[in-house]
Amino acid sequence: MSSPKANSIVNLVDVDLAVNLGRLRLACPVLVASGTFGYAREMAGLVDLGRLGGILPKTITQNPRPGNPPPRTYETSSGMLNSIGLDNDGIESFITHSLTYLAGLGTKIIVSIAGKSQQEFVDMAARLDGLPGVDALELNISCPNVSGGVDFGTDPAMCEAVVAGVCKACSVPVITKLTPNVTDVARIARAAEAGGCDAISLINTCLGMAINWRRQRSLLGRMMGGLSGPAIKPIALRAVFQAAQSVRIPIVGIGGIATIDDVMDFLVVGATAVQIGTANFYNPTASIQLLDALPAALRELGAASVSQVVGTLIVE
Amino acid sequence: MHTSNPDPICQETVAIEEHVLLARDTYRLRLPCPSIAAKILPGQFLMLRLPGTNDPLLGRPLALYDTYRAASGQPQGVDIVYQAIGRMTRRLAGIKVGDRLEVWGPLGNGFPPTETGHLIMVAGGIGQTPFLALARHYLGLGEYGQPPLVVPRAQRVTLCYGLRTAAFMAGVDDFRRLGVDVSISTDDGSAGHRGTVIELVPPLVDASSCACRIVTCGPEKMLHATSDMAARMGLSCQVSLERPMACGIGICFSCVKKIRDPQGEWDYRRICVEGPIFNAADVEF
Ligand SMILES: Cc1cc2nc3c(=O)[nH]c(=O)nc-3n(C[C@H](O)[C@H](O)[C@H](O)COP(=O)(O)OP(=O)(O)OC[C@H]3O[C@@H](n4cnc5c(N)ncnc54)[C@H](O)[C@@H]3O)c2cc1C
Ligand SMILES: Cc1cc2nc3c(=O)[nH]c(=O)nc-3n(C[C@H](O)[C@H](O)[C@H](O)COP(=O)(O)O)c2cc1C
Ligand code: FES
Repeated sequence: MSSPKANSIVNLVDVDLAVNLGRLRLACPVLVASGTFGYAREMAGLVDLGRLGGILPKTITQNPRPGNPPPRTYETSSGMLNSIGLDNDGIESFITHSLTYLAGLGTKIIVSIAGKSQQEFVDMAARLDGLPGVDALELNISCPNVSGGVDFGTDPAMCEAVVAGVCKACSVPVITKLTPNVTDVARIARAAEAGGCDAISLINTCLGMAINWRRQRSLLGRMMGGLSGPAIKPIALRAVFQAAQSVRIPIVGIGGIATIDDVMDFLVVGATAVQIGTANFYNPTASIQLLDALPAALRELGAASVSQVVGTLIVE
Repeated sequence: MHTSNPDPICQETVAIEEHVLLARDTYRLRLPCPSIAAKILPGQFLMLRLPGTNDPLLGRPLALYDTYRAASGQPQGVDIVYQAIGRMTRRLAGIKVGDRLEVWGPLGNGFPPTETGHLIMVAGGIGQTPFLALARHYLGLGEYGQPPLVVPRAQRVTLCYGLRTAAFMAGVDDFRRLGVDVSISTDDGSAGHRGTVIELVPPLVDASSCACRIVTCGPEKMLHATSDMAARMGLSCQVSLERPMACGIGICFSCVKKIRDPQGEWDYRRICVEGPIFNAADVEF
């Protein structure tokens, strides 16, 4: 074990934090996850936004959506369930009210979109393509809170088709965000890769429930919600590992990341970058704290860059 | 949607300075956090979290009870008052002076400066907590905010404080010391009027010689009834809403309530950033 003092000396040696997600180059691998960071403006008073590797604003949809009735969140053991339901003012309002602000933050903005149909995904991608502030798109084909829509995240053929459609309709890098609520995440990951996207991110939340048996009712406004937070980290780590074993494009790890050990775990199993989600809620400066701790952790493995530790898990 | 950057929010880990039992299951915590204390306004709140544990995972919103100051007048920190009822607050009750807590704030909008003759504060149970600082502000006995938020002086301030039973009565002396008139109601008649706190209000309004303004905080049913009563009596009324909150800073969209816009259309609004104080007439109960 090295002493804290020795660590700080080691920190002085430059560690290369830059990573590439296909065509998208990030100054560092710590991003903030969609739906857990608002539209970033809310965090400007707390977080030095320009230092983040990238920001994923809350998912937008073609038309405004009021979202699900409250209660929308319920705390569980080491986690939380949510049924927000993509509450947002729609793509045009996002472009008018948020994009200019986001474009000026000095970090990469990856706009998260969700469509009810393939055509809607394609239309939204085409509308955003080329606008200042749109550095990349993340396709949210994995939100468990929207019923009625087609589930692109669970059917490999539909996944490939929607990714291919979007990639054809726009010139910016595309990331496909996958759900863990499938039997074989590797199959869906391969389908997304075949569709032509630059990278894959996973996981979105795990479908769950919480009820009050005395009142015989759900504790959420909707029957089911998405589980997030430290409770889901082992599931996320497994899913990232499986995806990394099955595709050649870079992976972005998401799920329960709250400590530097979590960040390193994801890199070692094969993630090129990570997104911080629920941790932003209970520690608003978590992303910056993890970024600050990263160089020393990389050095512990003797690495001079992030890429030197990505996917270095020893499989015996 | 915001048009400018929000005020800086401070996040820090603080060592508890005082922890005092005020009434049954009800405690006052003193937190040394000068930078939050310098900025916080009556009606705003803090998020509080127990460090080093994932159970509970999320912070909890707690209203500003009051700031405390050095002899020089410099704000030193904030007092909060809480009732030990659940996962976080029961653990909090066991915490000792010197133990650490994570706090971030100030959060929320606070009470708007409003011309006020007679300020009538209607509290249900632990819902009394936002009113001590508000009373001090409107009585001209304390400054809040940086730069200080100027509010018109009220001629009179009354606290109508409703409780299940007298054992939960907390902080009444703090209010009386400021010159606030305190009227109590209890469900069981163990103190003050037997009945609901709302029944205390109309006689006060009738006897008042100046324009009355109502502010209210407590269980949602009580807020609804108070707001209806204020509407019937043609009085200005603001409510402090409560919702379970995951973040307190506007990023999770969990704390929403139906709020009406000037056209009468409702939309889900985040209580933590657009509230917790709303005009009663705008709330869709
Ligand atoms: C703006 C704001 C200011 C607040 N100020 C104070 C304060 O000054 N003092 C104080 O004691 N509490 C205050 N609260 C409530 C506080 O945040 C906690 O919800 C409460 O203390 C219970 O936390 P817990 O973890 O102990 O209970 P939990 O284990 O989370 O829940 C215990 C029980 O309380 C219910 N509950 C939890 N949160 C709420 C809520 N927000 N509204 C209604 N029911 C709820 C749960 O459904 C459950 O039945 C405030 C809430 C808000 C939104
Ligand atoms: C309250 C809440 C809202 C979310 N909203 C979105 C969203 O709009 N779009 C999306 O792609 N993912 C959304 N997510 C999922 C997160 O981005 C992330 O994938 C998931 O929570 C797992 O990471 P975590 O455990 O670090 O939170 C949301 C999660 C939470 C808790
Ligand atoms: S508590 Fe998260 S948005 Fe209000």
